[in-house]
Amino acid sequence: MPKLFLVLTILIIGGAFVAAAAQTTHTIVYDGIATEVSVAAGAPNELWITTSDLTRATRFAIKPQGVCRDELCFPLPKNRKSEFISRKGETTWFNLTEFARLIKQPFVTDQKNGVWYFGSRAAEQNQYLASLEAPNFTLPDLSGKVHSLSDFQGKKVLLVTWASW
Amino acid sequence: MAQDTGGAKDAGQWITAAKPEYTVLIDEKQIVTQKYGMVNVPTGVWIDERGRIVRPNEVAFIDDRFKSFTNMDSAPYIEAIRDWVKNGSKSAFVLSESELKARLKPQRDERARADVEFALGEYLYKAGKSADAIPHFKEAQRLDPDNWNYKRQAWALSDAERDYGTNFRKEVQKLNGKPYYEPHKLPEKKKN
Repeated sequence: MPKLFLVLTILIIGGAFVAAAAQTTHTIVYDGIATEVSVAAGAPNELWITTSDLTRATRFAIKPQGVCRDELCFPLPKNRKSEFISRKGETTWFNLTEFARLIKQPFVTDQKNGVWYFGSRAAEQNQYLASLEAPNFTLPDLSGKVHSLSDFQGKKVLLVTWASW
Repeated sequence: MAQDTGGAKDAGQWITAAKPEYTVLIDEKQIVTQKYGMVNVPTGVWIDERGRIVRPNEVAFIDDRFKSFTNMDSAPYIEAIRDWVKNGSKSAFVLSESELKARLKPQRDERARADVEFALGEYLYKAGKSADAIPHFKEAQRLDPDNWNYKRQAWALSDAERDYGTNFRKEVQKLNGKPYYEPHKLPEKKKN
């Protein structure tokens, strides 16, 4: 009986080790918010995360019509679905970097620290060029009170930047 | 609008000393620099009552304290602001839609990549990994070489001579008198 227990223990620890080796914890910064996620081992420039982490870190979710967040949906190219979604056992993995390339969203990684930073989509960034509407932002003053540019509608705004450096 | 990675710690003393009667915000992630595609401080943007840009990014010295260094007289810009306040959309300094569209350009891919490199550098810096931040700041500077915000902020976060082999004054001297900012394009004559 003790022998069997030992063998089982080694098997369980061994199994956990294999699982741990296949996944590591990385940080995704999306919309300026950092979230820790489990990352599947693979090519260094590809970020595969679970679909639950996808929603937790980005608020995007996989739906029949595509990868969606609120009203915004990006259909995945039908003949390339395996480049974005991969099912292994009970877990569905999603390639967030390939998705960023698809939607023209810049990203950068720091492999040493396991951090992935995703920026604004080109379409989002360039939106104001057509409307000429000043891009809105919300930032704190020295007391910590937050102000949005949109709070000043109805008044002229002279926006002037400066810095201590 | 303070563009300072150090936030209130770095910008606070200047705000307190200025005793402002206007709103002063602190932007420690260079959000406004990114959203508006800015490359320098001070940069001014005029926004009308409907929230529309009527003059986009331009150099905006509002006094002459740096005149000996910048060779820029602040008076024409101040006069232009006063004219806009008085005359609103009829001011000669308010740009037409076609003039605005000629000045505003879609973001270049290199700038978009520079923005994320810089943002990742800031993230690492704030996470206490200042040495790991430097390669990302350098990459942002390489991708967007005319962006003085990304140069000067990164240099200010470390020993610029040691980590970047340069500093602001040296880089300005290299320009041999050419300004480090794009000069104003204010109209010569007013229409009213």
